[in-house]
Amino acid sequence: MKRIFAFLVLCALALAGCSKPADTTPASGDNGGGKKFTIALLPKSKGNAYFLSCKKGADRAASELGIDLIFDGPTDPDPAKQNEIVENWITLGVDAIAAACENKEGISTALRKAQAKGIKVITYDADALPDAREFFVNQATSQGIGYALMDEAARLCNNEGQFAIITGSLTAGNQIEWRKYIQERLTDKYPNMKLVDTRSCDDRKDKAQDETTQLLSAYPDLKIIVSTTSLGVPGAAEAIKQAGKAGQVKNIGLGLPNENKRYVHDGVTDSVILWKTENLGYLAVEAAYAAAKGTLKPGDKTFVAGSLGEFDINGDNIMLGKPFIFNKDNIDEFDF
Amino acid sequence: MSTEKNRFKNTLLRHETILLLVLVAEWIYFNMVGRNFGTLDNTYDILRHSSEIGLLALAMTPVILTGGIDLSVGSLLGLCAILFGKFWRDAGMPIPLAAACTLGIGAAAGGLNASLITWLRLPPLIVTLGTFSLFRGLAEAITQGSDTFTNFPASFLVLGQERMFGVPTQVWLFFVVAIGIALLVHRTTFGRSFRAIGFEPEGARYAGLPVNRRVAMVYILAGIISALAAIIYTSRLGQAKADAGTGYELFAITAVVLGGTSIFGGTGSVAGTLLGVAAIAVLNNGLVHAMEPREVAGMLTGALLLVALASSVITKKISSRQHRRQTKPIQPTQRT
Amino acid sequence: MKRHFRELSVAATLGLVLLTLAVFAPGFYQTQPLLSLLTREAPTLLVACGMALVIISRQIDISVGSQFSICSVCAGLLAGMHWSPALVVPASIVIGAAMGAFNGLLIAGLGLPSIVVTLATMVAWREGLRWLRQGIWVDLPDGVQWFGFSQSNGQFVIIGLALLLLVLLAFAVKHLAAGRFIYAVGSDAEAARLAGIRPQLVTFSVFVLMGALTGLAATMNVAQSPQVDPNSGDGLELRAIAAVVVGGVAISGGRGKLWGVFVGLLLLACVSPALTHLHIAAFWEKAIQGAIILLAVIADGLRNRKLVHA
Repeated sequence: MKRIFAFLVLCALALAGCSKPADTTPASGDNGGGKKFTIALLPKSKGNAYFLSCKKGADRAASELGIDLIFDGPTDPDPAKQNEIVENWITLGVDAIAAACENKEGISTALRKAQAKGIKVITYDADALPDAREFFVNQATSQGIGYALMDEAARLCNNEGQFAIITGSLTAGNQIEWRKYIQERLTDKYPNMKLVDTRSCDDRKDKAQDETTQLLSAYPDLKIIVSTTSLGVPGAAEAIKQAGKAGQVKNIGLGLPNENKRYVHDGVTDSVILWKTENLGYLAVEAAYAAAKGTLKPGDKTFVAGSLGEFDINGDNIMLGKPFIFNKDNIDEFDF
Repeated sequence: MSTEKNRFKNTLLRHETILLLVLVAEWIYFNMVGRNFGTLDNTYDILRHSSEIGLLALAMTPVILTGGIDLSVGSLLGLCAILFGKFWRDAGMPIPLAAACTLGIGAAAGGLNASLITWLRLPPLIVTLGTFSLFRGLAEAITQGSDTFTNFPASFLVLGQERMFGVPTQVWLFFVVAIGIALLVHRTTFGRSFRAIGFEPEGARYAGLPVNRRVAMVYILAGIISALAAIIYTSRLGQAKADAGTGYELFAITAVVLGGTSIFGGTGSVAGTLLGVAAIAVLNNGLVHAMEPREVAGMLTGALLLVALASSVITKKISSRQHRRQTKPIQPTQRT
Repeated sequence: MKRHFRELSVAATLGLVLLTLAVFAPGFYQTQPLLSLLTREAPTLLVACGMALVIISRQIDISVGSQFSICSVCAGLLAGMHWSPALVVPASIVIGAAMGAFNGLLIAGLGLPSIVVTLATMVAWREGLRWLRQGIWVDLPDGVQWFGFSQSNGQFVIIGLALLLLVLLAFAVKHLAAGRFIYAVGSDAEAARLAGIRPQLVTFSVFVLMGALTGLAATMNVAQSPQVDPNSGDGLELRAIAAVVVGGVAISGGRGKLWGVFVGLLLLACVSPALTHLHIAAFWEKAIQGAIILLAVIADGLRNRKLVHA
């Protein structure tokens, strides 16, 4: 048995030793050798409609630029998986990486390695530590999102009343940030509003529905439910509808228009806050490409992204714009 | 009787040899199909990414050999990771002391499993299902879900991120533990008793083996190794979170069973476990380099496991049929 | 009374929780939320009953979550193609049964260990579904929700259906020979075989039944909202096994009552609502559920010790 073990080790090392040398990762311009320029797009997880719509925009950018796009991400909740995927891409020899980061600090370890190998790193949707990437394509700052949620909630409640938050999970980095800013805005501007509870739906719509039902029952004076996950809004809406409290308890949160059109038209959900996710994906790929080619450098103030036009750069944040509020009046114009 | 032992040994060896061939086949295939797969860097990546899971699989092997199972190792990894962070950051302990305390926690947790299984004679599946929830729950409760531990000193990060004598540091640790477990299981009478206990616990008891003590040892050992894996994980990511190690226990069980250890206990080898870990790790890594989506890795792992199981059952049936054919029935004239 | 001690102690714990809520959070006792809670747990009850039978026969099935997700998505897609519920429900049951049969063939036919087989199928089916659907939700057409009934009628139908099946299964298991075979095979498969029972057939059937119940449960879940989340089966196997274990079914096979499972399920389902109503933070949920499982398990162990040493 130990013989087999030793044999295995020898095998592995031998094969590793006499295999082909690595294609040196080219972050600079041309690929004379015929290898196509490759950008790797990392979502927080696969099987998530939000990132799929980002991917649509990213695909468009890739075909316009004539490059290869790899889209891969974790399919399970292990926080280490993102690191492993990035490290695999480093050995694969991609030219640039655009990452949406589940764990700010954890992923930075891997992203720094990528940068050290000459791969350009851009983050989008959820940032890493600033030294681990060149630019962050910011759909809206965490502060912007948190404040927008709190402001919209207050507006719908006339600045007073109890509210509760449904979050995707208690551990997701950017949701923690958004909740922090909701709390900050609450203390600053809305003394007559009270956050009574925060519950997790474990990234399942069904659980969001269950939690909301219980919240409605435990807090009879609840005025509004705010969801920091796209799985929360439809689940909460269904719970409010089944409890017969549509209109009495308001419902807002982050979410995709398509998943919420039904409830917005029924008047159960008041607003859904998001941004143009396709543009986010498109911008992320364009920025990654430009950074790798050298046309986007630290210190630039604006960035022209293909057919989308010009975007402002705030320090090292490329601003997609402000959070967009979808409601009854405009939600039908969008299809994602 | 010795022919039975030989036949038995042959079957066992055959399983591991087949797995080794599968591993080599994977390696050759991905070398051809994948970009930059066979490089030394990538090999190190494979080793680094599978160190923690490999440790859990090693910890699981003696447990399964005794006919038990431990579903709590992944959750224990998460709990130990955050406790390690807490010891270092909040209790102000120097890293080595924090690590030692974490290993102690691992042992205590394993001891909890052990006492319920041996003293109360409870089925390991159920006990560890309970501790699986409890440990993860404690990790979430202690961190309130959102607390994470980062900014570890660079000297600590060497363990998970840097190399020692050219090879990633944690790989040395992994090999030491692997050799240790292999020696324990195969070369000591202590370790050989595991298989006896798994094969027939009552018989082992009548043979004078202190079954309860041995069984308790394997669970405590599993706890300590999980704690070690947690420390390496934290160093590799540079961050400790409550959801660390989610799903690792299933991976570990898959690797152990793939390696030829019977889930009922009594037969198996550490080399088989290592081959199982390697086969899955190479598969996962290779598919990324072959630009296949993650989901394919999951499906293939499931299929590989079923094929491995089915084939070992079928080969056993074939060899037992061959054996029956070879054994000549006693002729009346030969009676002395 | 002594025979049912284990199940009654779970019922007593549940009673204690309900009493605490009555005193400290009487707001828990409102018709609509309670009705919602029961309706939402009805699918899990079916799966837990199936799981109880699997465990009684000394096997285990951790692939039910993936089966549930696949059946939910299929049911949603069929409903989207305007199949009537009268066809969608049987279709889902058949799909579930087929997956159960696949498990059953490998476990009963080839004699492979159930935990490993269902581990493999759990991963393979889950990833396969993700690969095909990429996580996109299935939108249901109008009129499909609640099988076309009004909300309260639909809720009664679902709860009623779940309870009816619970009673039928409990009856079948106690009074039909086939039901007793499950206990026999779980107790001692060899003795059962010698007594003329065919353990392989019993085991196979138990897995098919598990799949069928999962398929039915999936439609009951799909009927409760106008969209299908393909991740709805995540963690279902753990919830079902937890309910079964807390409910007093022995993992070593051969013993357990379905109504114990019912009570166990209710107890575990009350944890999150109780936390919400008692204003306790959400991050205690997993720890408390784990503690309940362990306590139930320890109670079993203590009772075993008393029996052995008596």
